Amino acid sequence: MREVAPTPETTPVPAPAAGQASVEREFTVAERSQAQLVLRRFLQHRAAMISLVVLIMVVLLAYVGGLLWHYQAGDITPDNSQPPSLDHPFGTDAVGKDQFAEVLRGTRISLQVAVSVAVFATVVGTIWGSLAGFFGGRTDSLLMRLADLILTLPLIAVAAMLAHNFGGTWYLIAVVIAVLYAPYVSRVSRGVVLSLREKEYIEAARALGATNTRIIVRHLVPNALGSILVNLTILVALAILLETALSYLGFGVQTPDTSLGLLVSQAQTALTTRPWLFYFPGLFIIVIALTINFIGDGLRDALDPQQRKVRQ
Amino acid sequence: MRRTRAASLAATVAAAALVLAACGGGGGGGSQDASEGGVFADCATSPNTCNSAPADQLQQGGTVTVASEKNIDNWNVISSEGNVDWTGMATKPLVPYTFYTAPDLKSTMNTDLLASADVTSDSPFTVTYKIKPEAVWNDGTPIAADDFVLNWKWQNGRDCPECETAGNGGYDLVTSLVGSDGGKTVTATFSKPYTDWQSLFGSSAPLYPAHIGAKQGDLNTPAGVKAAFDYFGSTPPNWSGGPFQVQNWQNNVALTLVPNPKWYGATKPKLDQLVFRIITDATQEPLALQNNEVQVLFPQPQVDLVSQLQQIPNVSQFQNQGLTWEHFDFNLQNKFLADKALRQALFTAVNRQEIIDKTVGQFNKDIKPLNNHMFIPQQDGYQDNIAATGQGSGDVEKAKKILTDAGYTGVGTALVAPDGQPVPALRMRYTTGNAVRQNECELFAGYAKQLGVNIDISTTDSLGDTTSSGDYDVIVFGWIQSPYPFNGAQQLWLSNSGSNYGKYQNPAMDQLINEAAASTDPADATAKLNQADEMLSADAYVLPLYQKPTLAAVQNNIGNVRNNSSLDGISYNTSEWGIKTSS
Amino acid sequence: MLAFAVRRILISIPILLLASFIVFALGVSSGNPLAPLLEKNPPAPPNVIAAETVRLHLDQPLIPRYFSWLAGLFHGDFGPSVVSTMNIGHELGARFWVTIRLIALAMVIALVLAVVVGVLSAVKQYTVTDYTTTFLGFLFLAMPSFWLAILLKQGGIEFNKAVDAQVIYTIGATSIPPPPGTGAQIVDVLGHMVLPTIALALISYASWSRFTRASMLEVMNSDYVRLARSKGLSRRTVMVKHALRTALIPLTTVTALDIASIIGGAVVTETVFQWKGMGDFLLTAIRTEDVYAASSWLLLTGVIVVMFNLIADLLYGVLDPRIRYA
Repeated sequence: MREVAPTPETTPVPAPAAGQASVEREFTVAERSQAQLVLRRFLQHRAAMISLVVLIMVVLLAYVGGLLWHYQAGDITPDNSQPPSLDHPFGTDAVGKDQFAEVLRGTRISLQVAVSVAVFATVVGTIWGSLAGFFGGRTDSLLMRLADLILTLPLIAVAAMLAHNFGGTWYLIAVVIAVLYAPYVSRVSRGVVLSLREKEYIEAARALGATNTRIIVRHLVPNALGSILVNLTILVALAILLETALSYLGFGVQTPDTSLGLLVSQAQTALTTRPWLFYFPGLFIIVIALTINFIGDGLRDALDPQQRKVRQ
Repeated sequence: MRRTRAASLAATVAAAALVLAACGGGGGGGSQDASEGGVFADCATSPNTCNSAPADQLQQGGTVTVASEKNIDNWNVISSEGNVDWTGMATKPLVPYTFYTAPDLKSTMNTDLLASADVTSDSPFTVTYKIKPEAVWNDGTPIAADDFVLNWKWQNGRDCPECETAGNGGYDLVTSLVGSDGGKTVTATFSKPYTDWQSLFGSSAPLYPAHIGAKQGDLNTPAGVKAAFDYFGSTPPNWSGGPFQVQNWQNNVALTLVPNPKWYGATKPKLDQLVFRIITDATQEPLALQNNEVQVLFPQPQVDLVSQLQQIPNVSQFQNQGLTWEHFDFNLQNKFLADKALRQALFTAVNRQEIIDKTVGQFNKDIKPLNNHMFIPQQDGYQDNIAATGQGSGDVEKAKKILTDAGYTGVGTALVAPDGQPVPALRMRYTTGNAVRQNECELFAGYAKQLGVNIDISTTDSLGDTTSSGDYDVIVFGWIQSPYPFNGAQQLWLSNSGSNYGKYQNPAMDQLINEAAASTDPADATAKLNQADEMLSADAYVLPLYQKPTLAAVQNNIGNVRNNSSLDGISYNTSEWGIKTSS
Repeated sequence: MLAFAVRRILISIPILLLASFIVFALGVSSGNPLAPLLEKNPPAPPNVIAAETVRLHLDQPLIPRYFSWLAGLFHGDFGPSVVSTMNIGHELGARFWVTIRLIALAMVIALVLAVVVGVLSAVKQYTVTDYTTTFLGFLFLAMPSFWLAILLKQGGIEFNKAVDAQVIYTIGATSIPPPPGTGAQIVDVLGHMVLPTIALALISYASWSRFTRASMLEVMNSDYVRLARSKGLSRRTVMVKHALRTALIPLTTVTALDIASIIGGAVVTETVFQWKGMGDFLLTAIRTEDVYAASSWLLLTGVIVVMFNLIADLLYGVLDPRIRYA
């Protein structure tokens, strides 16, 4: 069961709640042990752990395996449109490019896109939302109206438009997607900050004369870190899928660049004729998105043991 | 314990889902009616008569649906906006025209409309059309000289400067167009001989009903001519001068045609309904054909498409060598490429056969390198003007020798021009998302590398902007060969032509091309055009790669549908189409 | 409440205007809508290019172009399309209904599926049912929507083969020409709707069912449910009367707030199944640099999304008496 079992074989857990309202040093101690607690809960979340192992294997395969493999992406071999074999485990395409090498390259670039999106959107969105939540008033409404502006429109439509203007290379696609996801993050982090703002220990810190910067850096960010982390993982999955959809519509990463989305959308006609072109990149997308979702789920459970509330 | 079971169950479900999907993929139709052939078996030898079914073997009635890849935005195919391949094909059953292009790519007189069309004088050059007396529009008005005159006024550049035509040539040479014999005889007088006179009022610039146009304005004034021009563009036709007429038009969805009761032609339509269903994503077409939602496809062939079609039972497909041909172009405004030796060497290193094998050869074994800029093999006058130059052979040693002889150094490593300047990396461009051209560029880069020249490959979203601004060093794209080669050569190759993007200048070649287009002797014209082509080929400006094939696929029970690779396309003979009574 | 609604609408107007300006500016800077004319063989004559430049206002600077477009909107003129024969307003209106039909049915299916699956997995928490539905939900969340749609299409064809009849269609919203008889036409329309709605529903339901499950669990752990149970009410009564009802309240908001992403999903679904709805309109507009068409699309979609958000807020107030609008 993935219930939060009171850890049997380890030492008693320090009580985090007691420390929080207290002075700063005690708070720091409590925070670390809370992190340990979270980590332990996460390690016990079997689906998340399996997913983490699988994901690490995929990443290793993409970055290390790609270097060791006897074909490089872009190599044109004499074997045109071959089904999977020992030499070409994922088969080849019409020009004779080894699909195993191509899929690994696509995985690398898709992961690069997704991670860049997640990091960029998280940093921008968190700062955005924290500022709004912390200062409130006019700053809040200005920043949140800006978020509304972006959230009003279907993501994929705006992404397609932006990508049509700027797109083609993977990092530009990443920037486009990140800009559009940042307001989502900003809403979440604003909510977290708003709820934390009223907590007693913030008031205590304020009463002790801490500056705004200090309160944000020392108290708000660490406490909001949990939800931010969960969001970050989900963003990775969302970004991969959005990039795939954009590629299908013709607005994603363009050749000569590549991505899993581009590979699978180029292979959409190949489903019945050269299925290896269709299934392998698709499976990689699913495996990456699925494992990341499970990891996010595990993180969420670990951070919030009482209820597994799904945040959008 | 329960966890493990759950996990394994989930895994089983996932596996089952995949197996299911894989099965879904595998269940093709086996090998019956496989590959090229089926009802199209004799199309390679007799393109004009294959898949024939005489009228008595066709049932009366039935619906045939054609997958059309584009919406009809403008109904006037003479306008530049309406000059769209699929608009031409969907309106072909509605419009009368003088000549069309048959599947063998020969210009053929439309005997439904015309009794005769002949050059009746060489000086001044005069063409006389005799319209059949029974030829009428579907409201009973005779098809007559007025309809020719309206068409001419739109296109001659004098009577309607505002008319945004697609720019068909030759109409400006017609100085007078006169009707006689109650309008059933039309006499066109030219300012100078025009070799391609059969293109005039032909299927790519057909006749529109002048009496309906006249309701929009006075056809003797430019404003009235323009009003008629716009009217025919914006209004789905309820008129018809062909075998079918419009029953229903649903924008972006489908055009439904029914037989024209006043159709005057020899072959009365057998079908009750002919539908052009708009499917803008070609990748969805094979499934629609397999599911019998459409019966006729005319898509761009592609390797998966061809093999997908092979798997569908009771469906035949045939690829024909089309009018579009791919080519590598140099931009002579690049000062290094201005040197003929470098161009020759690069083209000599290109292995066209390998390019074909790696791209279109995958789904069509018959494609060969194209060896003429002016003619394609189906046209009279085609001869090999390129093999002798060694270009496209992939002979790297010969290419290296050309460079060494011209004084280049660093051949095969880092090329340096005779004047001591290193040859910089060349920018090669292709249309975004075109995988075949991407492969062609990558292969070209490989060949150039062997000579010590680096190629930077980049894409362009707008081929038109890139070519007209000359923003490339090397580029790959396709030209559509005109069925009327003499006029076509003027448009593509003359030094001052707008389509001569790489700025190749050769006055001697210009003179030959102009003489060929204004010749009254076809044999002489052909010989001159080939002379021009030899000059062009020797200068290594443009290297033709291959003719792109066109693909027609049809349910086996539909008779008389044929692959017509010309712009007339699949629908050149819809009055003959029908459902076979037994097969 | 009326005042609240009015204020919300007033706030959205500047947002929509700013959004439309940004989109308009993006469109204007994106590319040359006349490029296809130049690509033609032979290229279009200069007088054509000049006339088109004037017709599409390409000779005007951005700001006046934008404001004349806005001014035109007030009397129903959505501006000139690259396609000279197309009336943008008229075309958008026609396509709106195509998309609504797709979205509405898909949302209903997705909601039913989400509630059933969500409640089931909450009630049977940590059982095989829960794990299986969780895994399936995550699987659909992880699947590229067009990938799923292509598989569904193939499945539809196999189904037709299996029953040896034309039941499921893969292209468009109806047969052309439609079959004779009202009954046959209804069957025909349904046969065309099956695959696209399932495809859209499957990619949408998963996150909603996760949401239902979470809020069910939350409610089930709440004090008042425990109280109801301890009063001696049956588990079933408590579930249906107390827990489910409360748990559904947040779902209505989530659904309404998700409308933007459903419209986004429909863009992909429409492409795969060749429905000529709003998604197809937008993609064509972007590809052909049709600035006015794309901007009009975004404005219309923006209005729809704002309306749904408003409905969500109002609905929340109606369903949950604790909420008061200030």
